Amino acid sequence: MSKPVNIVITEISQVIFEGLSRILSRSGTPVHISHAASLSDTEKFIISNKKSVIVINPFYIQNNIKQFNALKIEYPDTRWIAFIYAFYDPQLISLFDAAINISDPHNIIIGVIKKIIPSGSDAEKSRNEEILSDRETDVLQLLATGLANKEIADKLNISVNTVITHRKNISQKTGIKSISGLTIYAVVKKLITLDNLRD
Amino acid sequence: MLKIFVMYPAANLYLTPDLNIAEVVLDNPRIILLLEHFNIYVPLHEKTIREISIENNLNFDLFLTFANLYNGISYTSPVQFSFDEVQSIINFLKKSHTYYTEEMYPDIRNTIKQMFEVNNYEEMALIDKFFKEYFKEVTVHLNYEDNVAFPYMKNLHEHLVKGAPITEPVTYSVKEYKEHHDDIEEKLNDLKNILVKYLPPKNDQKLRRRLFFNLSELENDLNIHAIIEDMILIPLVEQMEQYLKNLSE
Repeated sequence: MSKPVNIVITEISQVIFEGLSRILSRSGTPVHISHAASLSDTEKFIISNKKSVIVINPFYIQNNIKQFNALKIEYPDTRWIAFIYAFYDPQLISLFDAAINISDPHNIIIGVIKKIIPSGSDAEKSRNEEILSDRETDVLQLLATGLANKEIADKLNISVNTVITHRKNISQKTGIKSISGLTIYAVVKKLITLDNLRD
Repeated sequence: MLKIFVMYPAANLYLTPDLNIAEVVLDNPRIILLLEHFNIYVPLHEKTIREISIENNLNFDLFLTFANLYNGISYTSPVQFSFDEVQSIINFLKKSHTYYTEEMYPDIRNTIKQMFEVNNYEEMALIDKFFKEYFKEVTVHLNYEDNVAFPYMKNLHEHLVKGAPITEPVTYSVKEYKEHHDDIEEKLNDLKNILVKYLPPKNDQKLRRRLFFNLSELENDLNIHAIIEDMILIPLVEQMEQYLKNLSE
């Protein structure tokens, strides 16, 4: 199981903190959210868990760039996201790993966070290995020819649960969930031919 | 020194009753679709949201809530309206159904066919079949809403207006609607993924782009459709059911 992502929100406004927390808690990725009141305060939440995502108002950085750069070096696994609702110098924004605007819809906000989650977490791993493994290819080929999970499990000598896990990974890597959609993928990738389908 | 200019998408403006509706449409073209679903058409002249709602016998809070959904403001908890809004909500959803079945799906199907005509290759035949089957599933779902779920809800509301408890045996509830309300967006998303990531290039970029835009447009409207059902309509009908149940006890 994936461990919750440690997220620190450094933001003066309670309204924005609550709103962001709410959006992030519904992202589908387990998260642990803390509220920090300053850049120094933020650091307290990083120490306990070195892989963290900090969503921070650039306001806290603009007069503390030295301290900010030091923190980035001290905690290389931490990712910094600017939460923007005023105009800032682009050079300031470029110090961050990513930025979110206050007007971004929730799916964009979640997308930014997911993209930036420090490597080592499950979500990141599957994103990086886009090509299917040999076993996943086996499962996909059988799936596309119309076999049920149980039949695939018997044929490959694996458990039904393993088949389900492979299917989940296939869908995560390709972005395709339905069997008919995966069949098209298999044809496009030349993993099966239409003749296989007709059998 | 170069200053950063953040282009806030206009589509995220939170709408209020005294905004000029034509300006809102100019900022976010998708609002025109919202208007059509409410049976409102251009030209809009200088009317405000409040005026156009009153003119069309719509509760402007309801109008605003829907319009904000089209403007990218989402709701994460149920939004409360009076029971009398059920009819307007159903009319809106039915009108969207017509848009899907009579406009979007034929358009998409047509584009796929044209792609197939340009390049007669096996993947395209599969995509055509995929979409045809998908459309069949969607039609079943939409017909179910039009012929079973919506009439049931209307009937509930009529009883409520009369203050009369339902005497006929209750064989249906919105719970069933909730369950039936399956994820018709999944396959649409599959198709987008295949199109954008995997389908080999065949010198048909314009058709592909058109297909992709259409699929995205349809997906966006279906998303909002689902939010209206889950966050507004279903909670309201559940309350009506409870109210009528109390009445008969």
